[in-house]
Amino acid sequence: MTERVGFSAGRVGTIALNTFTESVRQKVYYILLIFALVVIASASFFAQFSFSEQLKFVKDFCLGALSVFGALIAIIGTAQMLPAELENRTIYTILAKPVRRGEFLLGKYLGSVCLVAVSLLFMGLMFGAALWFKEHRLIAEALAMAESTPADELQHTLQQIRAEALDPDILKGVLLIFVKLALLAVVTLLVSTFSTSMVFNVAVTVMVFLAGHLRGVATEAWGEMLWVRALLAIVPDLSAFNVADDIILGNVIPWGHVGKVALYGLVRTVILLAAAHLIFSRREI
Amino acid sequence: MDAIRTENLTKKYALGWRRGKLLALERLNLRVHEGEVYGLLGPNGSGKSTTLKLILGLVTRTEGEAWIFDVPCDQVASRLHVGFLPENPYFYRYLTGVETLEFYGRLCGMRGAALQKRIDALLELVGLARARDRRLAGYSKGMLQRIGLAQALVHDPKLLLLDEPTAGVDPIGSRDIRDLILRLKQMGKTVLLCSHLLAQVQDVCDRIGILNLGQMILEGDVRTLIRDQRRLSFTVQNLPAEGQARVEEAVRAAGGQVIAVEHPQTTLESLFLDALRKDERGMRQHD
Repeated sequence: MTERVGFSAGRVGTIALNTFTESVRQKVYYILLIFALVVIASASFFAQFSFSEQLKFVKDFCLGALSVFGALIAIIGTAQMLPAELENRTIYTILAKPVRRGEFLLGKYLGSVCLVAVSLLFMGLMFGAALWFKEHRLIAEALAMAESTPADELQHTLQQIRAEALDPDILKGVLLIFVKLALLAVVTLLVSTFSTSMVFNVAVTVMVFLAGHLRGVATEAWGEMLWVRALLAIVPDLSAFNVADDIILGNVIPWGHVGKVALYGLVRTVILLAAAHLIFSRREI
Repeated sequence: MDAIRTENLTKKYALGWRRGKLLALERLNLRVHEGEVYGLLGPNGSGKSTTLKLILGLVTRTEGEAWIFDVPCDQVASRLHVGFLPENPYFYRYLTGVETLEFYGRLCGMRGAALQKRIDALLELVGLARARDRRLAGYSKGMLQRIGLAQALVHDPKLLLLDEPTAGVDPIGSRDIRDLILRLKQMGKTVLLCSHLLAQVQDVCDRIGILNLGQMILEGDVRTLIRDQRRLSFTVQNLPAEGQARVEEAVRAAGGQVIAVEHPQTTLESLFLDALRKDERGMRQHD
């Protein structure tokens, strides 16, 4: 009787861990991450605004940096995965074992998502440090002027600084950036299932990244044209994940909204993963 | 039960828009019996690698069928008992020897102490015990080939598919791999070997098949195929000159013809290995 080989989470985990190890042992990843951390840390050294504007600037600057550097890490990290496997023929040795192509693809994707998560964690910690540094500096400045400020006004200023620095909505913003980057990684993976060039994968995904952010503008400008509408239906709406403006303006972001946007990202991710699997399972290796 | 069986296995590759198709393999009927070493020979582009890829399910067949131990090759289960070493393999350069084998072992469902024990035994078998914690980026070509063999063997498969296992390896490494194949045969493993090194194939294979332009043009038992039925050779030692004349005379008297009388030659490989063995400074360790 033929032995059956079912789907194995263990094999997926092994491939994911290997993909993650591969990425973190590459110099390009460290260079990108260190550069991102330096940029985020530098946000706290801008001081030409009022205290409220300074904190807003740090949040705006850091959330932007998280999004852009996270996207670079997600795209570059994912774009080279399949071409490198094919070029180095390591894919032969893996698929010659009792490994399903779906397990291989999912493992590769999860490894890439782990890389994005760890990068976001480091960048988020640096973001927190930048906010903390700025908060303490502003408090020190406010206290230095304590003699010339009425006591209740000083108290109000200190409370406002602390409230702005410890805004819990920042975490919601970072969470949505993570979902967006996971979606971006699957777009890159999908492109690499039918292409063999890393440059092509990066170029196409960067275009999707830009189109996804400009989707709203494009719909307004050219939404009447059928082909534009068809094209925009394929491109995910990445601007939906951007809540930085609300965070900066101090608007409360309801968890319901975060859940809805995250679900949108998850559904898109699952659909694109299924499409990637469909193409990859038919690919001649 | 055959380890590998193919029936009319055919592969056509699409060459692109309006460029037609390339017939890479045509109606291959191959049987590799359990426990034998089978050599698949042929010039570049003859269809050897395509055959291996079809058997491993890496490419889809255009026509025909293929089985590994009676399991259709398009099923993942067919690869449960197969180890594969591709031609010129490049493994993950950032992993050490041990990490590499751990990775492939886990893919085969191995874990814990059993896996560690297997890794230790394999590194010893392929002679890489001393390089076990070195990253593969620092391995020589021969060492990569040997770690490749170890990964193919990690789950103790019954069938091994080896694509040019000695490509780019020096004569010592090449001989080690040949000896290893013979040892695997003694252990009851089945080996399908693709190689350009005909002398090596002759040494280790029980049967061979020769592919050309995607078709099997000759197949059979190695010793039978290379035997010259019309000629006979004697190898004698310490025969004086008059003895030689009498032997030649006797051959003629019996109706035979003496074609050549010469001193047998050693192989270049034996000469090379002897020279290194006699060098008092010894041989460089591979790892």
